[in-house]
Amino acid sequence: MSGATALSVRDLRVELQSRRGSFLLTADALDLNAREALVILGPNGSGKSTLVRALAGLERPASGHVTSAVTGAVTMVFQRPAPLAGSVAHNVHIAFLGKKLSGAERRARVVEALERFKIDHLAEHRAATLSGGELRRLALSRAFALRPAVLLLDEPFAGLDADGQAALSLDLRRAISDTGVAVAMVTHDLRRAMLLSDRIAVLIDGKLAQIGSRDDVLERPTTPDIARVVGMTNLVQGVVGEEPHGDLALVEVDAQHRVATRTAYAAGTRVWVGIRPEHLKLDIGRGDVDPIGEGVVREIINDGVSVSVGIDWAGSELRTHLMAGRGLARTIEVGSKVSLSASPEQVHLIPVRAG
Amino acid sequence: MDPPSAAMLVEITARTLVVCLTALAISLAVGLPIGIALGRRHFRGRVAAVSLINTGMGAPPVVVGLIVYLALQRNGPFGALSWLYSLEAMVLAQVVIALPLVVGITLAAVGSLDEDWELQVRTLGVPKRWRLWLLVREIRLGLLAAVITALGGILSEVGAVMAVGGNLDGETRVLTTAILMHTQMGQLEDALALGAILLGLMLMLAGLLTVVQQSGRS
Repeated sequence: MSGATALSVRDLRVELQSRRGSFLLTADALDLNAREALVILGPNGSGKSTLVRALAGLERPASGHVTSAVTGAVTMVFQRPAPLAGSVAHNVHIAFLGKKLSGAERRARVVEALERFKIDHLAEHRAATLSGGELRRLALSRAFALRPAVLLLDEPFAGLDADGQAALSLDLRRAISDTGVAVAMVTHDLRRAMLLSDRIAVLIDGKLAQIGSRDDVLERPTTPDIARVVGMTNLVQGVVGEEPHGDLALVEVDAQHRVATRTAYAAGTRVWVGIRPEHLKLDIGRGDVDPIGEGVVREIINDGVSVSVGIDWAGSELRTHLMAGRGLARTIEVGSKVSLSASPEQVHLIPVRAG
Repeated sequence: MDPPSAAMLVEITARTLVVCLTALAISLAVGLPIGIALGRRHFRGRVAAVSLINTGMGAPPVVVGLIVYLALQRNGPFGALSWLYSLEAMVLAQVVIALPLVVGITLAAVGSLDEDWELQVRTLGVPKRWRLWLLVREIRLGLLAAVITALGGILSEVGAVMAVGGNLDGETRVLTTAILMHTQMGQLEDALALGAILLGLMLMLAGLLTVVQQSGRS
């Protein structure tokens, strides 16, 4: 990852009017660096697609600006790519209209792009006959054939089945890595975001709420809304206790439940305690080095690959994931009493803001 | 009245083709850009414009003929042109009939494209003139439908051309007005012969366009 900026957003304000009402997107400062992958996360209707369209120059800002600092193309792949009349190869050739490239160069780029996304065997098929997944691959081939400096992706995996998403995300990651293109990608699929991102930006209600390195945003969201968006779904309120426990702070959730953390806030501060589901550990019948108390299993959802377990703890529902068919996942039942633990390093605190 | 000679049939048929194809060419030249613009752009008054087009698509040709007649008569707003009972008047009436058909069908073809179609092509950096070429290519089947519909409408139309052309022998007589005249005179064999020529023309032109249309699908 290089520090050079490819796209720069300053004081952006985009106003949209529709029959459903008006929508305002604001982003004070957002930089897309050269050779980095920035994933834009947010709930439905938070303005993710509007932001990426503004980056592509498709939305006229009411104020502020988007500046491109690259000489190469800035292109975008839409959520629902439209096939153009003609063959798959012709659809890729369209990207070269009006550009000064020799016929041999064009043909070579088409072949390379189709091979990159594994649809070279469909080159002579009519684009209109492609499946949703193949169409997505065609749109990505067309974009990469341009050898862009910046690639903007709006929900590239939406509507694909799990296998299709997994295969396409791996091919996309390889293509991004091979070409060094700077990517800004909108998704609400956290797994794809984790696979593909160097940095994450989170939009809430049309505002750029947080931007930072992937691990920083995933581990240290700054508000409960951001925490939910980035998958830190276990959130309970508590108060930072008066008495530290060694070099740890203790957060009192209620009289019986305390959570140890390394995050430092002044005693008496009301906080949200955030624990990612994958960081919440379960045990039956034995203690743990960082126990946070006992809970009762209320729900078990097994999809054959992972088991999502809902636990009643201190009047809140916490959730954790187990590997299906292994260890505790084979014996746990609804109503089981479980001992919960979480490493203090993985317990994150978010101050409760007044009002 | 003598039955039409072979030379007269050729003359009437040729005049019919000249009038219809001229009107079609003008309608396409004017109507395609309007249809594309109405299909792509959203502006104040667009709904009213589309409503006007839809009304025009269903307007009775004889009423169109009457309006064009009133416009071209000596005391009308375009009386100074002295076009009444001329081929120009017949072309004008047919343009007024065909234009809403061309605009309406083109508009529908453009409207059937994905909402983001143009933006997707734009983000590939395709210059404007090439985008227009791609758009026409994309809606070409709809455009052929517009051509067939407009041609069918004006080739078979009689009310308007009778009103503004007057069915003058050797000057403004076309196949439809000649058929009507021979039918009214009880010369049904002649009317049938002219009708067969008209049908043959229609079949030939529609067949040709259908071949082009179907080859565009492959």
